[in-house]
Amino acid sequence: MATHTPTEATGSGVIPVSDPARREPVLTIEDLDVHFPANDGSVARVVDRLRLTVNRNEIIGIAGESGSGKTTLVEAILGISRFPNRRLNGRVLFETRTRGQVDLATISARQMRRLRLEEIAYIPQGSMNSLNPVLRVGDQIADGMIDHGVPAGQARGRVPELLERVGLEARVARLFPHELSGGMKQRVIIAIAIAMSPSLIVADEPTTALDVNVQRRILETLARLRDEMQVAIMLVSHDMAVHAQLVDRVGIMYAGQIVETGEVREAVKRPMHPYTAGLMQAIPSIDRPRARMEGIRGATPSPRNWPEGCRFHDRCPRAMPVCRTIPPLLAEPVAGRREGVTGPVDVIAGRQVACHLYPESTPPEARSDGSGRPAATTEAAR
Amino acid sequence: MTISVETIEAKSADNRSPVDTRRKGRLNPVVAYLLRRLGIYLLTLWGAITLSFLFFRLIPGDPISAFVTSMESQGRYGAGDSSEQVVEYYRQQFGLDGTLLEQYLRYMERVVFHFDFGPSLVSYPTPSTDLIMRALPWTLGLVGAATILSWVIGVLLGTLLGWTRSSWISRWSTNLSLGVSHIHAYFIALLFVYAFAYWNPWLPASGAYDARIEPGWSLDFIGSIIKHGTLPVLSIALVGATGWMISTRALVVAILGEDYLTFAAAKGLSRWRILTRYVMRNAWLPQVAALGITLGGVVGGSVLIENLFRYPGLGALLVNALGVRDLNTAQAVVSLLIVFVLTANLIIDLLLPLLDPRVRQHR
Amino acid sequence: MAFINTWRQSGQFRFGVIVLSLLILMGVFHQLLIRLHIGDTDPRQIGAFGILESPSWAHPFGTDPYGRDWLAMNLLGLPSSLLVAGIAGLISTVIGAVVGFVSGYKGGKTDASLRTMTDMLLVIPTLPLILTLGAYARGLSVLELALVLAAFSWPFAARVIRSQVLSLRERPYVELSKISDLKDRQIIFQDILPNMMPYLGIGLATSSVGAAFALVGLTIIGLAPSGVLDLGTLLSLALEWGALSLQQWTLFFAPMTLLILLFLGAAFISQGLEQVYNPRLRGQQ
Repeated sequence: MATHTPTEATGSGVIPVSDPARREPVLTIEDLDVHFPANDGSVARVVDRLRLTVNRNEIIGIAGESGSGKTTLVEAILGISRFPNRRLNGRVLFETRTRGQVDLATISARQMRRLRLEEIAYIPQGSMNSLNPVLRVGDQIADGMIDHGVPAGQARGRVPELLERVGLEARVARLFPHELSGGMKQRVIIAIAIAMSPSLIVADEPTTALDVNVQRRILETLARLRDEMQVAIMLVSHDMAVHAQLVDRVGIMYAGQIVETGEVREAVKRPMHPYTAGLMQAIPSIDRPRARMEGIRGATPSPRNWPEGCRFHDRCPRAMPVCRTIPPLLAEPVAGRREGVTGPVDVIAGRQVACHLYPESTPPEARSDGSGRPAATTEAAR
Repeated sequence: MTISVETIEAKSADNRSPVDTRRKGRLNPVVAYLLRRLGIYLLTLWGAITLSFLFFRLIPGDPISAFVTSMESQGRYGAGDSSEQVVEYYRQQFGLDGTLLEQYLRYMERVVFHFDFGPSLVSYPTPSTDLIMRALPWTLGLVGAATILSWVIGVLLGTLLGWTRSSWISRWSTNLSLGVSHIHAYFIALLFVYAFAYWNPWLPASGAYDARIEPGWSLDFIGSIIKHGTLPVLSIALVGATGWMISTRALVVAILGEDYLTFAAAKGLSRWRILTRYVMRNAWLPQVAALGITLGGVVGGSVLIENLFRYPGLGALLVNALGVRDLNTAQAVVSLLIVFVLTANLIIDLLLPLLDPRVRQHR
Repeated sequence: MAFINTWRQSGQFRFGVIVLSLLILMGVFHQLLIRLHIGDTDPRQIGAFGILESPSWAHPFGTDPYGRDWLAMNLLGLPSSLLVAGIAGLISTVIGAVVGFVSGYKGGKTDASLRTMTDMLLVIPTLPLILTLGAYARGLSVLELALVLAAFSWPFAARVIRSQVLSLRERPYVELSKISDLKDRQIIFQDILPNMMPYLGIGLATSSVGAAFALVGLTIIGLAPSGVLDLGTLLSLALEWGALSLQQWTLFFAPMTLLILLFLGAAFISQGLEQVYNPRLRGQQ
C-alpha cells in the first residue's frame, strides 16, 4: 500500500506489529455514548458504547454508511456540537504532550479550547465553506496560533512556510477564500491544522466534495505530513477507496459502534464481519472480475430504536438465532473460527471484530459450548 | 488497490495560479463595477426626475389659476387684474407654456444646468432653489444623525441578541423590538413630545434652535441645536434601531450555523475573536448594503416628524408649499429628496467593494 | 389550509389575526357599540356632553372641545380607516401580483424593466409624492383615495411575489407542465397560484400597512380629503386642538393606539406567514 508503512504483509497470514511506537495510544475511547434526548422523551443514541484506540503516528480510518454516527464521534472528540442537548458518557482519554492524560469527555470548555489546534486539529467535512469569506487566508492561518499564545509577528511569519508545506505558493496568504479552488481551500485548511504540530488530526470526509484527481493529491499530502510530523490522523470517510489509499488501520462503524478494526488491506481483502463484507462488495474493483454490485439490503436503522442483540442482524445474510438477542463484543478472533468465514483466518494481532460468527465475540456466559473461556480482549458486555 | 505516493504526477491542477485565470485586456473588475454602478445611478436619476416632472404636470387642476387666485387672496392684485394676460405671463414664467415635450426639455435644461426650479410662492419671488438649500442642511442633519444612530445601536444590539439567542432575555427583547419596529416613528415622536416636552418639560417641543440665540459657531447655538434635535432624532432612531436589531439578529443566527464558524471553534479561537472577526464582519457587511434601501422610508417619514416638531427642514417646507399650492417649491423638494436618497445609495454601493472582498470579485 | 398551518406554527400570526379580527369586529359593529355606549345620542352632535372632560367611566377617553364622546368618535372613525387600508391593500396586491407574476414568469427583458421600476419605487421616498397628490386632488372618495395610495404601495407585493414565482418556476411539477406543453394560463392557475396564497397574504398585509400609514400622513398634515372621518383625521384634530399642551392625552392616545394596533396586527400576520413559508427565515426566530 504505502511506502511509509513499517510493517509489510507477508503472504496472507499474520501481520506482525513490529514498531512499538505504533502501539503507543494517543487517544483511547472507552464505552463512549453520545446521546441526544428529544422533546418527546425518546433518545437518539447516535454513538453508543463505542471503543476505539488511535495510536501515535498512524492513520486510522473510520468507515461506515451515513447515519452510522461518524460525524457525531468526531464532534465528541473535538468537543464541538451543533445541537445543544448532547449527553456524553464514557471516557475519551487523550495523551497531551505536556499535561499527561486528560479525559476529553469531562474536560472544561477552557481547557478544551487550549487543546484544539495545539494538540488536536480538525479538518472539516464541508471545507468549501469552512473558511471565513471576509478574512484573508493568511490571517485565518495566523489567528489560531495567535489565540494559542504565539506572538502575532511570529505567527504571521510562519504562514508562508505552512502554505509551502501543503503545496501552495506563499502569496496565497493574501487571497480571500472565494479566490481559491476547492482543492486549494482544502490545502489551506490542512495548513491551519498542522500549524501548531498537533499530535492528533481529525479529518471528517476531507475529500468528499473534491474531484478524484484533487482528492488523490490531498490524500498524498496527508500521508506525507504524517511521515514528516509523526502525527496521528483519524480519517473519517464513507468511501472505502479513500481508506484503501491512505490509512494504516480501519475501523468499520455501524449503528453507533465500531464492528471491526484491522489493518486496512486485511480488512479489505478478508473482511470478517458480514457488514464489512457487504461494504467491500459495494466497491468496484479492477482486481476482481466484474461482478454485480451487491449492496447491503435494508436501510440503516434509526438511532432512536437500534435493533436488539446484534444491531446488524436484520440486514445480515448470516444471522443466527443468538444474533437476535445477545449483542456481540468487539474481540480479537483466534484460530478455530466458525464455518464459512471468508478466507483463512489465523491469530491476527490488532484485528478485532464484533460478530457471533467468532466465538470470542459472544459473551462467555452466553456461549453455547459453555466453555466460559475468557474473551481475548478487554470487552464490555452489555 | 495499492497506490504509491510517488507515482502521482507532481503538477497539481488544483494548484494553478488564481491570477492567471483573469483574462488580460479586460477591465479591472472593480473599475467595471464602479462604472456600472455609476451608469445605473445616472439612469435612475434621470428616470426619477422625469417621472416627477410628469407627475407634477399631470396633477389634476390648473396650478396657474390656483396660483393667480392665491396671489389675489394675498392682495397682490386687484380683482380686475386677473385677466388672461396675467395667467399667460405666469404660465410663461413657470415654464408651463408650449407642448409637454417642450416644457419637459426646458425643465430639464433649467434644472440640470442651472439648478433652477423657478420662483417660489411661499415667499414670492425668492427662487425655490434658495428655499430648499436653506432647508436642506436641517433635513440632512436630522435624517443623517437618526440613520447613523439607529444603525450603530441596532446592529450592535442585534448582534448581541443573536449571539445570546437561546437566553430568555434575548427572546424577550427580540419580541419586544419586533413589535416596536412596526410602530411608525411618527407615533413614537408623539409619545416622546407628550412625555418629555409637555408632561415633563425637559426638552423643547418645536423648532431647530432657540430663536434668542444668535446663529453661529458658538457653543450655545450648537447646544441648542442638539437640544432641539434630540426628540426628533431619537424618535426616528428608536424605530429604526429595532428594525436593524431584528434583521441583524437573523443574520447572526444564520452565520452561527455556518461551517466556517464550526471550524473557527475547532481552531480553538477565543470567543472574542470569533465574535468580532467571524460573526460581526460577516453580519455587518450586508447591513451596510441594506442601509440605502431603508433611506427612502426614513426620509419620507421625516416629512411628518419635521411637521410635528416644526423643524425647518425640507419636510416642513414641502407641507408649507403644498398648503399654498406652491408647485415649484413642492417639486423642488420632492426632486431633491429623490436625488438625496439615490446619491446616498450610490455612495454606499461605491463604498461596498472597499469593505467586502466578495463584491470586488463578483459584481 | 395555509391559514390553519400558519396559525398552528406561528405565535406572531395568531397575535396578528386576533388583533386584526377584533378591530374588524369593532369596525363592523361600530353602530351597535356606539349605541351601547352612549345610547341614542348622535355621536357627532355638538354639545351632547361636557367640554374636554377627563376620562371617566361614562367617557373612557374623555370628551372633545365640542362636547362629543371621544370613544364614540373613534368607533365612528375606525371603519373608514379599515376600509381604506383594506381596499388600497387589495388593489395594490392585485397590481403587485400581476407585475410580480409577469416579471418572475416571463423573465428576460420584461423582468429587467419591471424590476428596475419596482426597485426605483421602493428606493425613492414616496410619501412626499402622495402628500403632493393629496394636496392637489381634494374631494376624493374613499375608493379614489384607496386607488391613489395603492398606486404607490404595490412594489412591496410585487417584490415578494416575483421572488416566489421565480422559485416556483424551477420546481419539478412546473417544469413538467412546461414540457407537457400546457398553456401559460393553465400552468399559472393550476400549478403556481395555489402555492402563492401565503405570499399574496404577505403582500396584502404589507401594502395595507403602507397605504394605511400614507393615509394617516395625509390627514396629519391636514391634506385629508374632506368628508372622510377616519382615525388619522381624529388624530390631526386632537393635535390641532392642542391635546399635547392641554395634556388631554386621551384625545391623541385613543386614535393612535387603534392605528398602532391596526399596523401591528397586519405586520405580525405577514411576519408569521413569512416565518412559516419563507425557508430563509425559517428557524431563525
